[in-house]
Amino acid sequence: MIRKTGSMWLTAALAVIVTVAACGGTSSPGTTSKGTLTVAGFNFPESSILAELYGQALAHDGYTVNYKLLLGTREVVAPAIKSGQIDLYPGYAATELEYYNGGAGEATGDATATTAKLNGHLQSLGLEALTPSAAVDQNAFAVTKATQAKYSLTKLSDLAPIGNELVLGAGPECPTRPFCEPGLKTTYGITFKDFKALDTDGPLTRAAFKNGTIQVGLVFSSDADLNALGLVVLQDDKHLENADNVVPIIRQTVATSEVTSVLNKIDAGLTTADLVTMNGQVELLHQDADAVAAAYLQQHNFFS
Amino acid sequence: MAIVESVMRWLADPAHWQGSDGIPTRLVQHVQLSGESVAIGALIALPIGIGLGHFGRFGNLAINISNVGRAVPSFGILVLAFQVFGLGDLPIVIALTALAIPPMVTNSYVALREVDPDVKDAARGMGYRRWAQLLRIELPLAVPLIMAGVRTSAVQVVATAALAALIAGGGLGRYIIDGLAQQDYTKEFAGALLVAALALATEALLWGLQQLLVPRGIRLLQVPASRRATTFKTA
Amino acid sequence: MAAPIFLDIVDPWVNWDWLSTHIPTVLAALGQHVTLTAIAVAGGLAISLPLGIAANRWPNLHLRPAELAVFGGFYTIPSIALFALLIPYTGLGTVTAEIPLIGYNVLILLRNILVGLDAVPRDVIDAANGMGYRPLARLLRIELPLALPAIFAGLRVATVSTIGIVTITAVIGLGGLGQLIYKGLIESFHTPLVVATVLSILLALVADVALAGVGRLAVPWSRGA
Repeated sequence: MIRKTGSMWLTAALAVIVTVAACGGTSSPGTTSKGTLTVAGFNFPESSILAELYGQALAHDGYTVNYKLLLGTREVVAPAIKSGQIDLYPGYAATELEYYNGGAGEATGDATATTAKLNGHLQSLGLEALTPSAAVDQNAFAVTKATQAKYSLTKLSDLAPIGNELVLGAGPECPTRPFCEPGLKTTYGITFKDFKALDTDGPLTRAAFKNGTIQVGLVFSSDADLNALGLVVLQDDKHLENADNVVPIIRQTVATSEVTSVLNKIDAGLTTADLVTMNGQVELLHQDADAVAAAYLQQHNFFS
Repeated sequence: MAIVESVMRWLADPAHWQGSDGIPTRLVQHVQLSGESVAIGALIALPIGIGLGHFGRFGNLAINISNVGRAVPSFGILVLAFQVFGLGDLPIVIALTALAIPPMVTNSYVALREVDPDVKDAARGMGYRRWAQLLRIELPLAVPLIMAGVRTSAVQVVATAALAALIAGGGLGRYIIDGLAQQDYTKEFAGALLVAALALATEALLWGLQQLLVPRGIRLLQVPASRRATTFKTA
Repeated sequence: MAAPIFLDIVDPWVNWDWLSTHIPTVLAALGQHVTLTAIAVAGGLAISLPLGIAANRWPNLHLRPAELAVFGGFYTIPSIALFALLIPYTGLGTVTAEIPLIGYNVLILLRNILVGLDAVPRDVIDAANGMGYRPLARLLRIELPLALPAIFAGLRVATVSTIGIVTITAVIGLGGLGQLIYKGLIESFHTPLVVATVLSILLALVADVALAGVGRLAVPWSRGA
């Protein structure tokens, strides 16, 4: 009996060794790296693509890049960059401004002016917004073709008289975002019958359109599958949505001139059509965001 | 701690007790989803477990169902259910029922197996036929362990139902998921507390029910812990 | 009625093409999953063992009800809430994932350790004392070995439980197979979802069988668990 307990301690020792071995973790690259950057993306595929574009270009330039893709909404990502857990994320100028200024309503249709105001707010947080791209992805509100036909809808103002017959669907953050439900109320005077918390332009929203749970839903203007889904975007005639140009939000401590020039170069060549194309490859063809980004960078000679 | 204070205030706010996002509405949704899942699960699991245990057949299968069932990740099964069945309560109930079945199968199987063979012999000797033996002798003796399985299932279903909000489901989990998306820690914490409280209440309620159902004069059968599905966490 | 044509998911449940080109991604997720689980179970054991031993050894300190109440209460809180609430304090890494996982495992293992130690027959303890064993030696050489079947049962439940809950950490950007599940959800793509779910089940089954085997090896004197 006493000798047999030896086998118990052998087992325990084995377990500890296996655990420590499993915790061995990844070995860091021995090559000289210019530094480490953590790039994050929001919880929708386009953000993963943009994050991969930035990350792969920086990696090609000699930086060690870690990714935190599909991290969450801005409400999750912004605190993460403020506390330094991530270094960089691809933002959208007008929405970023209205987030960091507490919904003060400063954003306009002018990307440069909006970004300048944004930097005014980011300065004290140790953050910086770089040069905005020409590529734009805005919040857009869509209805099914059937709903459009039923109420003869072309623009958002058309919803004001019939809002109380319709259900709005969007991510759970919509009721607290100035460009979402509150904005529709104050700018257009639309009060919906109900709000359904779904996802940020994702499968839940699409399923809800399909089974009639919602009639109006939040989508993104650069989505590739709207037509195929039978959805129609209503025109933003009172300009609730503003200059949501793609712009990198980065921590000042890592924003060296080399890093910023790499990022600005990517954004300078990026167009809205590019976003739609790449979104289509990921959403419709199920290609990986990193493969799509790599193909784009290759095509535009970033890897030469 | 500041967050405890703000949670208390959140819970005390009358605005949070009304409307389609109010606590009573969410509570009812949560109880409905959980209750349906456990009830359907019991309807499927208990006859199987009791039958297998009574006839002493396929014991390995009964135990293995439990093993495989415990191994199913709740997040994965919920997303799969959504992709197959779409939105609404149906995918949620299906996923939760699948998670509820294993502990009930195992426990009811073991419960029937553990009935003292001498007692069964005595019953046969006294002239009990098959069905009467099952219903009047074996089941009452097996009740404690069967109820333990139902309790384990129910508590885990209540906790896992919080994840239903990830596929646009209702229930108390909505506060957690919405709070996360809105970075409203107070709402998140309050939601977590409410779910935890409901899980504890479920445990207490079913324990009370068990006490009612166990015939007087029966001691709790001592089944070794290694064979009981006593603890089980899926979310 | 002319219904609009919606884009149904027409891809198969498993796209073998995708799988064959993404083996490294899947294996990386699996490896991360294993690591997170191993840390959680080892951590849970490291904490629950001393707690259980102390509660058993000094019953008059009423440690048992206190320990079970604290960890039992923790156990009822849904993991998704704990992960999300910890992020501002412990960041986006492994620590945030491990604190709730370890906490849950402490309860599971503690219950089983207590049952195991309780089940050591009184006369065995008396005999050991009579043979001159000091309490520590008695614990290490008599009581714990006899409690092993219960402890291993607890390890099996803890491990399988943890493997399932680790998938949930993907919702807050942490790792493991859950990331593939989340990717499958967001991109309306079946394959990573199915692959990750199946792998998670297989991993849990393999771990369960392996632990059962190790358990039997460690207690050659008992009739098997």
